[in-house]
Amino acid sequence: MDTLIQNSITGIAIGMVYALIALGFALIWKSSRVANLALGQLVLISSWFTYGMLMQLKFPFWFGMIMTIAFAVLLGWLIERLALRPLIGQPILSLITVTLGLAYFLEGLTAFIWPQGQGYLPKVFPQESIRIGPATIQQELLWGAVISLVLFILLSVFFKYHKMGIAMRATADDQLAVQACAVPVTSIFSMSWIFACIVAAIGGILISSIAAINYGLVETGFKSFSVVILGGMESFLGCIVAGPIIGLCETFGGYLFGSSVKELIPFLIIMIVIMFKPFGLFGEERIERI
Amino acid sequence: MKRSQLSVVITLLLVFTFIFTNVLACTSQTPTQKKPWWIGFSIPLTGAAAEKGAPIGQGQLDAIEYINTELGGVGDIKIHADWYDTNYDSTKATANVKKFMEDGCLFFTAVSSKEMSASKEIANRAGFPGMVCFSAPSLTHPPEHIYAQFPDYGDDWAAFSRYYLKNIWKGPGKPKMALELLSNPTGYGVRDAARATADELGIEIVATEEHSATTISETDALTRIKAKNPDILFISSTPAPTAIILKNASDLKMIPGLTVACAHASFTKALIDFAGKDVCQGIYGVYPTVYWGDKVPGMAKMIEYCTKRHPEYIGNNDYMIGWASSLISAEVIKQALKTSSVEALSKGDATAWQLVEKNGFLNVKGYDVGGLCGPVDFSDPVDKRGSKSVKIFQVKNGEMVALTTDWVNAPNIKYENLDWFGK
Amino acid sequence: MAIIRTKTQWVLFSLFLLALFTLPFYLPSSWFDIVNSIGILLVAIIGLNILMGYCGQLSLGHAGFMAVGAFTTAIFTNSLHLPYLASFICSGFSAGLIGLIFGIPSLRVKGFYLAISTIAAQFIIIWVLKNWTDVTHGSNGLNVLQASIGNFIFDSEAKQYYLIFSIASLSVLFATNLARSRIGRAFIAIRDNDLAAEVMGINVFNYKLLGFFLGCFFAGLAGSLYAQYKGHISYEDFTFQQSILYIGMLIVGGLGSSLGPILGTVLIESLQKGLTYWVAPWLEQTVTFLPTGFSSGLNLMVFGLAFILILIFEPRGLAHLWSLFKGSYRLWPFSY
Repeated sequence: MDTLIQNSITGIAIGMVYALIALGFALIWKSSRVANLALGQLVLISSWFTYGMLMQLKFPFWFGMIMTIAFAVLLGWLIERLALRPLIGQPILSLITVTLGLAYFLEGLTAFIWPQGQGYLPKVFPQESIRIGPATIQQELLWGAVISLVLFILLSVFFKYHKMGIAMRATADDQLAVQACAVPVTSIFSMSWIFACIVAAIGGILISSIAAINYGLVETGFKSFSVVILGGMESFLGCIVAGPIIGLCETFGGYLFGSSVKELIPFLIIMIVIMFKPFGLFGEERIERI
Repeated sequence: MKRSQLSVVITLLLVFTFIFTNVLACTSQTPTQKKPWWIGFSIPLTGAAAEKGAPIGQGQLDAIEYINTELGGVGDIKIHADWYDTNYDSTKATANVKKFMEDGCLFFTAVSSKEMSASKEIANRAGFPGMVCFSAPSLTHPPEHIYAQFPDYGDDWAAFSRYYLKNIWKGPGKPKMALELLSNPTGYGVRDAARATADELGIEIVATEEHSATTISETDALTRIKAKNPDILFISSTPAPTAIILKNASDLKMIPGLTVACAHASFTKALIDFAGKDVCQGIYGVYPTVYWGDKVPGMAKMIEYCTKRHPEYIGNNDYMIGWASSLISAEVIKQALKTSSVEALSKGDATAWQLVEKNGFLNVKGYDVGGLCGPVDFSDPVDKRGSKSVKIFQVKNGEMVALTTDWVNAPNIKYENLDWFGK
Repeated sequence: MAIIRTKTQWVLFSLFLLALFTLPFYLPSSWFDIVNSIGILLVAIIGLNILMGYCGQLSLGHAGFMAVGAFTTAIFTNSLHLPYLASFICSGFSAGLIGLIFGIPSLRVKGFYLAISTIAAQFIIIWVLKNWTDVTHGSNGLNVLQASIGNFIFDSEAKQYYLIFSIASLSVLFATNLARSRIGRAFIAIRDNDLAAEVMGINVFNYKLLGFFLGCFFAGLAGSLYAQYKGHISYEDFTFQQSILYIGMLIVGGLGSSLGPILGTVLIESLQKGLTYWVAPWLEQTVTFLPTGFSSGLNLMVFGLAFILILIFEPRGLAHLWSLFKGSYRLWPFSY
C-alpha cells in the first residue's frame, strides 16, 4: 500500500513536469496547426541562457529570471518573424520542416556559445523532501507540479475569455476568416510562439534545477511529445491529464514489469488510445467535408 | 519577375556552395604526408554525450598542442590532429573511420563505446588500430585491433568489489549488493561483469534497476531496492542521474547508512556540484586517473594548459582522461619509431597500420603517463586494455580523496569464455 | 505519355546513365563514402516519398522500419546463412509487413494522428530491438558481412557503389512508374481528398495499407544495404531524430515528385558530410581566435539554416524549383 502511494505521488509529480513542456507544444498547435519539432531545443537554449545569466555573469536570482523571460520573449518573436512569417499559407509540412531546421540551428547555437556540454543551476527550491502520508517526495517536484497547474489555469482562462485568446482559437480554425475580421494573424502567431517559448523556459529552468543542463533536456522534450499526443494535440486539459497518466504509467510500469519496460509504456498506451479515441483523450474531432 | 530572379539566385547559391566544398575538398585532400603524423580523433563535441565528450576531446587536442609546441612532436615531427565531430551519431562515427583511413592516419581514437562499436568492424577488417577512452567489454573481447585506454565499467565494479570485500565489509557471509544502472553500455558493462564474477567474488546481487539518462526521479526504483535491504549500492551512470539517485536515496533515508559506490562515468566534480556536498559525503568511487591537483609529475603541465585554453574545465577529471589519451598516443608513435622508419610509417596505409600496431602499440610497456593514470601496457595480446588499474576514492567534505596510494589492479575478465556473452 | 519523350531527352538520359555508372573510375576515393551513403538513403527516401508524397500519410517512424530491414539482413546472413540477395528481399518484406501492422490504425485515424502511430512504431521497434537480446545482442549489436553474390564479395567501395546504385536506379524507376500506374493514381487521389476517393470507389483502407507496405518495403531494402555497408548495427543507430531528418530531406527535395527524393538526399547528405569533413577543418585552421571545437556548433547552425532558408525561398521543395526553371526555359524569351 505504501509503495502504491509512493509510486502514485512520484508518478503524478513527474508527469506534471512533462505536461508543463507539453503545454508549449499544444499552444503552437492550437493557434497555428504547426507541430513544433524544436521544442526540446527551445527548452535547452532557455536553460543554458539561465545558466549564463546566473552562473557565468553571476546576476542575482530574480534579475536572471527576468532576463530569461525577456530572452524567451525575444526568441519567440524572432522565430516567428524570421522563420515562420514568410511561410504563411504554405503547406504545413514545410512549416514543420522549418521547425526542424530551427531545432538544428538552436542546438548548434547552444553548442557554439556554451561548449561545455553540461552545466547546473543553483538550487531554486528548498531541498528537503516532504512526507505525504507514508510517501516521501522531493519538494522540487511538487513545486514543478504546482507551477504546471498554475500555468495551465492561466493559459486556459486566457484562451477562453481574453480577446487575444479567442482570436488565437479562431485562427486555428480558419485563418482567412480571421483575416477578414481584421485581426492581424501575424501578431497572433507571434504571441503564440512567445508564450510557447516562455513556457518552455519555465519548464527548462524547473527540470534543470532538479537534474542538470545537458542534452537530455531535448530527450525530455520528446517525452513531452508523447504527453501531447495522448492528451490531444490542442487541448491544455489533455496535457495536464495525460502528463500524470504517463508519469503514473512509468512508475507503475517500472514497478510491475521491471525498469526496461518503463520506456515502452507511453507508446503502447498511445497505440491503444488511438484505436478507441483517435484524437487523443481530449482532442477535438475534425469533421471533414468533401 | 521577382520569383524567377529569386530562383536564379538560389540556384546560383547552391551551385556556388557545391563548387566551394569541391574546391575545399581538393585543396585539403592531399595532406602533406611527409611532415606531420596524422592521428584521427572521433569526438562527440555535440549531441547526447557532449557532457563528457567536450572535456575529453578538448583535453586530447590541448595535449597534442602541448606535444607539438613544447616537445616538438614525436621524433621531431609534429602531430596533426585529424578530428571530426560525431554528434554522438554512429553513422558519422563509421564515416569518420573511413575518412581517417583515407587521410592516411596512423591510428584513431574514439571517446565513447557507442562510437567505437560503430567503427570497430570497419577498422578491424582493414587492420586499422584504434584506441577508445571509455570502453565496453564487447570492444576488446574477442581481442582484435581495438585498444582500450582504461578498464571499462565492469572492471571498475570488479576492482571496487574486491576492495570492498577486503577493506570495508566486516560482516559474516556474503554482502548484498544492489545495482542502479544506466540503460546503455555504461550500465550493462557492470551488469555483465557482475553476472560473470559476482558468485566467484562472493557477492550476492539482490536487485538490478535500470534508468534512462533523462530520469528526474528514481524514488520508485530506490523504494524497491530499499525493500531488499542491501548492504551496498553500486551506481554506474552519468553525473546527472547519479545526483538524482543520491538525492532520492537521501530523501528515503537510505544514506547515510548504506554504502554507495559509483563507477567512473559519474564520479567527477560535476556529481558533487549537482548533488551537493552533504548528499555526497562518504560516497565511494572508482576512477582510472588520479584526482585533479594530486602531486604527480604530469599534473602541472596539464593544469597550465587547461587554465590557458579551457579554464571552464578546471577540476574536470574527464579533461584529464583526454590529456592522458593523447600522451599515450604520442608514446605509441614513439615506440613505433624505434623499430620502423619514418617513411614507412608516414605512408599511412595498411602496412603502416600493421607497423604501428606491431611496433607501436604492442611495445608500449609500463608507460607511466606522468603519473596521471596507472601504468599503460599494451603488450598483452589477449588483454587489450592499456591501463589495467584504477584508484578508489571517497568523497569527504566535497573533495574526492584517494583511499589507496597505489593503483588497484582490475584483472581482465575473460568474457569470451562465457556462452552468454555478446548477447 | 512516356517518361522520356524527345530524342534530346533520350540522349541526355543515356549520357547521365553512362556518367553515373562510370563514376567510380574518376571519383576521388574520399568521395565514395558520401556517394554510397547518398545511394542508400535514396532508397529509403523513395520509400518515404511513396508513403508521404503520393499517398499522403505522414510517417515519422522511417528509421525504425529501416532498422527492421537491417536487423533482418544481419540475422538472416549470420545465423541462417542465407545468400545476401535472399535476405535482402526478406528484409524488404519484413519491414513492409511491420509497416502494414502499424498502418492498421489508418482505418480510424488520419493526418497527423496517423503520424502518431508511426512515432509509436519507431519507439516500439527500437525498444524490441534493444530488449530482444537473444537475437539482436542488445547494445553489443550485430556484425554484418558485406554483400556477396555467390563468390563475388562486394568488398571495395567501388563494388559497393555498383550494388547500391543499381538498386537505387531500380527503385527510382519503380517509384516513377508506380506514380503513373493505377495504384499511383489511387494514391494521389487519396492524398488529395480521401473522402472523395472513397466516394469514387477507391478502397481507401486497402490502398493506405499498400502505401505503408511499399514505403516500408523500400525502407527495409535501404536498411539491408545500410547494414552490409556499415558492417555493424545496433539499435542505437536508428533514432527518432533520424526519422525526422528523413522527412526534412524529402520536403526540402520536394514532396510527391520523382525528382524530389533525389535532390533532397543529395543536397542534405552532401551538406552534412561536406560541413563535417571539409568546412569544419578549414574553419578551425583559418579562424584561430575562437576556441577549438567551435566549428561543431557552427556546423549544426549552418545545417539548420540551410533547411530554413531553402524552405523560405521555396516551400514546396527543390523539385518545384526545378520544374519552374524548366517551365521558364521552355517559354523563353516569354517566361514570366
